[in-house]
Amino acid sequence: MAPLSWRHHTLLQALLSRGPLSERDFHALFSAISGGKNPATHRHLFNDTLLKINKELAYLQFELRAGINQYDGTVYYGVVNNIADEESKLGSKFSVPQIAFYKGLLEAIVHEAGNDGSITNIDALNTRIENQVVIADASQGSQSRLPTSITNFSLSQKEKTLNELIQDRWLSYTPTGKIGLGIRSFLDLRSWLRSNDIPSCEVCNEACIKASSCPNEGCNVRIHVYCLKKKFSQRKASRACGCGTEWPRLEGEDDGAEDVNEPEEDQVPSANQHSRTRRRGVKSELVEENERAGPSARMTRRSLRSSKAEAVEAAQEVPSAAGPSQSTRASKRRKN
Amino acid sequence: MATVSDDYAQIDISTEEKDKLVAEVMRHVLFKTHQTAGCPIKREELTQIVTKNYRQRVLPALVIKEAGDRLAATFGYEMRELQRTRAPSTRSGRPSQQQVNVDAKSYVLVSKLDPEVYSKYVEHKEAAHVSGFAFVVISIVHLSGGKISEEDLWHQLRRLGLNESDENHPVLGNNKQALELLVQQRYLLKEKLSGPEGHSMMYELAERALDESISGKLKDYISQVVSTSTAAEVD
Repeated sequence: MAPLSWRHHTLLQALLSRGPLSERDFHALFSAISGGKNPATHRHLFNDTLLKINKELAYLQFELRAGINQYDGTVYYGVVNNIADEESKLGSKFSVPQIAFYKGLLEAIVHEAGNDGSITNIDALNTRIENQVVIADASQGSQSRLPTSITNFSLSQKEKTLNELIQDRWLSYTPTGKIGLGIRSFLDLRSWLRSNDIPSCEVCNEACIKASSCPNEGCNVRIHVYCLKKKFSQRKASRACGCGTEWPRLEGEDDGAEDVNEPEEDQVPSANQHSRTRRRGVKSELVEENERAGPSARMTRRSLRSSKAEAVEAAQEVPSAAGPSQSTRASKRRKN
Repeated sequence: MATVSDDYAQIDISTEEKDKLVAEVMRHVLFKTHQTAGCPIKREELTQIVTKNYRQRVLPALVIKEAGDRLAATFGYEMRELQRTRAPSTRSGRPSQQQVNVDAKSYVLVSKLDPEVYSKYVEHKEAAHVSGFAFVVISIVHLSGGKISEEDLWHQLRRLGLNESDENHPVLGNNKQALELLVQQRYLLKEKLSGPEGHSMMYELAERALDESISGKLKDYISQVVSTSTAAEVD
């Protein structure tokens, strides 16, 4: 157990105290405590720092991970918990009906996955929570044996809970004013989303909650808007989908706005290329793949779907209060 | 460190089993701290994590000690031990002599970071109103000689615009609950006293407010506030 330095402690305590931080804030914090070293120019040091932290956190089944808010493409960093146990249930400040309500909302939002990935305020408040509670004896009279806290969960309580979930960033208001997943859900439920039959992005292989679909109705290809911009940012890149259909231009997308000659991260000359690629595993796979994704990128194979039961079990988990939160590693990515 | 491993060897427990217990205790402390907004965690709770599967009497102490060391090494948190002060409820209006119950040990997580670094990078600015309220209340009780009646405390808080009956304060929400949280967090001790005019509630400083790390800072801040306001009056 090699103790971490005060710099590592500051990063961890900031994430535990303030919750997930945007990449901009996290980088600014890193820069401030490392004597002005910018993670963009000192990637080696940044990745080393995260690697060292994660080695220590592994003892507790925690992980410092990066994730993307799919509604605006912003990268966030947060500390997440990788196993569901008795201890992690303590992490929640929400009551049983509130958790059931969150699960119902999660289901409704995920049902919209691949399209808008959000629901209206009215739909959110009309979410039924009765079927989110598991009853041991599922006989015919089970409906009457639902806890009164569930059956009496009023509209005003739903509204209050909705506000709390948004405030705690389990949910969020999307740019269109609807209700979508919050950054905590993206960070925590990543493996659950991936193993829950949600269409994956053709570029980064992550679950598509908010994504752009191929114009060809018969084609199931979906790509995150930010992945799409990355994929088609180079002039030479073909805008055709695998099915041959031309992908429409996005709002604000210039014709070859970015410099073609700008090297991708993997192509940046480095004195120690081997250690560089080895260390890149520290960053979340999600961010790593987004950086790598481009016309020349190696495609990652779709992750193996774990059993439905495992996915449901992961969904049963409780959102935590402010600190390390719950997520079960349901599936591991296999790379080519 | 050799002595610690010797201790474990004597009680016949493998490194893997020990690590699992230490991790469980650490997880419990971290999650519980977040769930209860920093309320102290009873030692008894942590002991039960160990004793549910192991019978060795010395094991809980060793595991809790190592969990504390690891929390310091990994997160920079000190698992500070608080000795709970239990004031037995008294029938008369006489102030009771505080009794320390040896079994009533509890723990809180305290950051070991430099205070300047902590306030600059770690402190959750959106929760500043909570610590601000705690500071004001503890200061009032401290300046009243460490003990104050509920009536007098609310009288002082009303001067700051905090009303006992306000359940929808724009920042604190339910004011009464905000005060109650300080009791749960062991900053204050609440005691019912029976006097000639019936029952009255008294608040006094509890072990967390009496801890030198808090009381030292408190006195510094109070003197800063006093000197600032005095200087302002002179101007």
